[in-house]
Parts: sequence; structure tokens; C-alpha cells
Amino acid sequence: MKPGSIDELDAALAGASYLADRGLATALYLSLELEKPLLLEGEAGVGKTEAAKAIATALGAPLIRLQCYEGLDIAHAVYEWNYARQLLHIRAAQSGTIDEGELFGPEFLIRRPVLEALESDERAVLLIDEIDRADEEFEAFLLEVLSDFQVTVPELGTIAARQRPYVILTSNRTRELHDALKRRCLYHWIDHPSVEREIQIVELRVPGVPERLAAEAARFAAELRSLDLQKPPGLAETIDWVRALSALGRQELDVENVEATLGTLLKYHEDLLAIRDEALAGLVAAARG
Amino acid sequence: MRHVVFFGRLLREGGLEVGPRRIADALRGLDAIDLGRQEDVYWTLRQTLVSRREDLETFDRAFHAWFLHVATEPGLRPLEPPPPSVARRRVGLPGPGAELDVSEIEAGAWSHDELLRTRDFAAMTPEEFARARELIRQIAVGRPRRRTHRLRRDRRGHTLDVRALVRASLATGGDPVVRAYRSRSDAPRKLVLILDISGSMEAYARALLLYLHAARGSGRRVETFAFGTRLTRLTVELGTRSADDALAAASERVLDWSGGTRIGESLKAYNDEWGRRALTRGAVVVVLSDGCERGDPTLVASEMARLAHQAYAVVWVNPLKGDPGYEPLTGGMRAAAAHIDRLVSGHDVASLEALGAVLGSIERRHAA
Repeated sequence: MKPGSIDELDAALAGASYLADRGLATALYLSLELEKPLLLEGEAGVGKTEAAKAIATALGAPLIRLQCYEGLDIAHAVYEWNYARQLLHIRAAQSGTIDEGELFGPEFLIRRPVLEALESDERAVLLIDEIDRADEEFEAFLLEVLSDFQVTVPELGTIAARQRPYVILTSNRTRELHDALKRRCLYHWIDHPSVEREIQIVELRVPGVPERLAAEAARFAAELRSLDLQKPPGLAETIDWVRALSALGRQELDVENVEATLGTLLKYHEDLLAIRDEALAGLVAAARG
Repeated sequence: MRHVVFFGRLLREGGLEVGPRRIADALRGLDAIDLGRQEDVYWTLRQTLVSRREDLETFDRAFHAWFLHVATEPGLRPLEPPPPSVARRRVGLPGPGAELDVSEIEAGAWSHDELLRTRDFAAMTPEEFARARELIRQIAVGRPRRRTHRLRRDRRGHTLDVRALVRASLATGGDPVVRAYRSRSDAPRKLVLILDISGSMEAYARALLLYLHAARGSGRRVETFAFGTRLTRLTVELGTRSADDALAAASERVLDWSGGTRIGESLKAYNDEWGRRALTRGAVVVVLSDGCERGDPTLVASEMARLAHQAYAVVWVNPLKGDPGYEPLTGGMRAAAAHIDRLVSGHDVASLEALGAVLGSIERRHAA
């Protein structure tokens, strides 16, 4: 069911274990209200994909995910014919007794995420993840789908959406998206969460985490983000890290533990080299307040 | 309603693209929310009117100025574009009058062009330069290719095209007699050009900027940047077809023509902002600079290392290398040397042509 206000949506998201800040909640709410796709951008690990999953849970709608990659084409995004079945079908029938129309019927169609979302009986959430990784040709195709919510299969004709899916696109900005695509979408830039918010999120996502550990870890992550690193840790990394520390039975941060588990937080060798010894000790001390 | 329309105009003056469609979205959005909460109004306007992270700051200033009536800092309005003559002088283009009508010198120009090909840009007269820019425009910029994952129909390919096969099998009762194949095709590799336009490069910057424009016109996936003391992205400005328009737009955008050089810091700015967004990954990166660093050479070394680590290959174009007696003695150049795959000169038309050949055939760097 569709929430009637931003507050209602916020509560529904919290029910799906996702704490959205006011900006993101507004973006999602507007996307539902205006029936426009929402483009989410932000540093890696700020929770773009998670937001789509959470809104699907909150709405009780099926989530259909299309992971983009270079070379992604219509056969993998929209539909493909089931060739093996087609060949068997020709074999089973006597030659000459079937025509093409029969062979290219709906029962031989393999539905990929986009078509699946259009044909879904329930209104679905279609997550188009990391659209910046797909080729520009695919972006142009996607633009067509997003404006008409229909696709054309040459052999079958045009298939229009039964229910317009809610569409969420994410991008890591490895390249600038086409203006025409952006014009179709609402846009929200997700920032790293504030320390208070990050503590809340960590506590929600890592049940039973000691309060002190969550707070110190969030402060530590925030400190790291203020440094000049190759890849500052995202929210996802903080959660993984706290999970690791919590699994080890830690109640608070200390230099030794942080040193042993820092690999969950920092993914670049150069960053790990930069954060050790005194630098590490200083950060731990700052996080412990 | 009128508020929003005026606000849209304010954003447009700040350089944002705000079409009527966005205004309509903003109005529908405001209808859907509680206008009493200023925070929600802010987010609604931002999410409907802005679509680029770079524009958020401008939006915030405009929002504060318009809805909160807070005095805004100067700088929201774009600076008046400099008069054309100033722009031309700044890029060092020959002014009006000095430029020759190309058709007039077409006759018998061939031998003249041959001489011009090997003439140092720094030593050219305005007339010669006018002709040289025509030559630069014609240079085919080599683009290394990369294989894509996308399959194209190819009779000599190795991957079976099952879709075509099924269709052909209809005629033979399900026997796959006619076989069609597909194979992976290739596409131009990403190309990133970073041009030094500081004072020491002044004699070459205008010619090399023309080269950047030519490269930008060679197809998609070309990114261009210029730096003196700070890095400026010029991809959009150099995307114009006419070289004159492109250079005028570029000179308006770049604020530090012929100033000091900070190679290390500029490369760092590039790595931080664009490298992190994976622009460098798989790209051929070309740095065009004389390597005269005023800042810290160790920063040049570490930032070049970062660059080389991600790039497919790194090419350095140094106009000073055109001098037969040249040795890479400048601090910046020495610091960078270990991270360069190819060092070429770029002081005349012929050397830029050679650069095209280098770019077209370059192989993945081995040391990385």
C-alpha cells in the first residue's frame, strides 16, 4: 500500500530496518506520488541499493533487480527467446506444419528483469543498479522504456505495462549520465550519514551490538572520511566492520582490534599503509572520545 | 506558483538547466507535501530541479537567497563573459585580421605545409599559425581499441547466433543446417587528455588546446582537462564543432591561463575527483606538460603512480623534447618519468601526427 505522507513512508521504511534521512524519505515519497523514476547517486556504500530494497519491503511490492554491466544488452535486460525449446518444438512437430508465429509466441519467451517488471500483476519496484556501468546504447534504450513503459518484441508486438513499476536507478558516477535520462528522473544525492544517524543505523542492522562499540565505530568511520583516502569507508563497510568486531565479542575499540579488522573498512593497500601506528592510535583515541 | 517560476529563473542564471518540465514537476511535488515544513520544501525543490551533484551548491545558495531571504555570497551570478578580443588574447589566438582566409593560400600550399609541419609552434608567425591550426584540425587522433562484451553478427565469428539459427531451422524441420555466428566487436578505448596551460607552456598551449579539440571530435569517451594552478574540466566546452567557439568557451572557463604550475596538485585533483569515479580505469591517459613543477616533485611522483596504477597506459607529451639536446632535468619530469609508458614531443604538427600513431597502437603498460 502506498503511504499517504512522508512521515508514514519514513515509518514504513524503519519497519523494513532502513533509517532514511528526511531527504531520502522525501525523494522516495515524491517518486511514488509523481510516478517518476528516482535516480540515486552517492559515494559507494552509502546505501543506494539498500534504499530500493527497503522501499520494496515497505510497500510490500516485489523487487526486481537489474544489475548493469558493460555490454549488458536487451537479451539480458528485457527478453530472450528460449532457443532450445524452439528447436525441440520444431522437431516435435512435423516439418512444415508450424509457422513462425507459433514459434515466436509468449510461451517461448524468457522474461528478463525489465519485461518481468512490466508484466508483473502486482506493482513492482524495478531497481536498475549501477546504470553508469552499462553502455550508452543501453541507456538510450532504457530511456524509451522509462518514457512509455512498454517494450516492443518484433515477433510479438508491443507489450505495455500492466502496472507501471516504481523505478529506482543508482549510479556511482563512473561517467556522467545522459541529460535526457536525467530529465526523466527525480534526483537525489545521498551523503554519508551524520555520526548520530550512523550509530542508529549500526544498532538497527547489527542486533545486540554494544552501545559503546557502535558509537565508537561510527565516530572512527567519520574520522576516516575526513581524511584524504583513496576510498573512504561507506556505511556498508561500517556495518560489516561492527559485525566483525561484535562477533569477536568486543565491547569497545582498541588499537589491537582495529588493526586486526581494518581490512573490512579500508579496501586499498595504500589506505591501509597510511592508517597505522601513530595515525591509527590517534584515530582510535579520537573515536573513544 | 510564480515563486517557483522565478526561482527557476534564478537557477538558470546560476548556470543550471531548468526546463519547463522540471518546473512542472516541482509544482506537482509541492502539491504532494506539507508546505509548512521548510525542510520538505527544500528537498522537493532540490530533487525535482537539480540533477547533478555539481549543481547542488548553486541550488543551496539560490534557495537560501530566495526562500529564506538570506543575503547570498557573491558568485551566484556567472561572471560576465569577457569580450571576444580578451578571450582571444588569453588563448593567444591570432586576432582578427591576422587570420588568413585558408582558400587563398590553398594553391601551392602543399610544400608550404610540409615546411610548416616541422616548424616549432613557439617560432611561428600568426599567419603560419593560422595555417597550422588547419593542419591540426585535420590530424586523425589515434584511438586504441578495446574489445567489448557485446556480440555482433559475424560470419567468421566463433559464437553461435542461436536466434538466427532457430529461424533458419524452420525451413529444414528443426535441423540446424545453416549456421550463423557472432563475435565480440571492439570499441574505442577511453582517452583522457590533461593539458598544462601554465606560463612556461604559453607558446604551446594554444596549439595543444586545438589538438585537444581535435581529439574531442574523434568520437565518444574522450575527456579533456586543463590545469595551471588548478584543474578545469573542458570536455563540455571543447565539444563544440567549431574550434573558435570551443576555444572561446574554454578560455572563459579556465581562470588561470599562463599562471604558475602545480602539476602534482592538479594531478591529485584529477585523481581524487575523476580517478575515484573510475574514469582512469582502462583509459589511455595523456599528460601534455613541460614538467616544470613549482610545487613539490614528490607529489608529482606519487600522483603519477596513482594514475599509472589505474590507467591502461600513460603517455606524456613534452614540447621541450623537440629540442635535440633535451634531457628530462626538470624536477616534475624526473619525478614522473618512472610512471610513463611513452614520452613523446609535441612541439610541431609532425610530432602531433606521430602522437596519433602512438595512441593508436599503444599496448597495456607492463609495469604496474
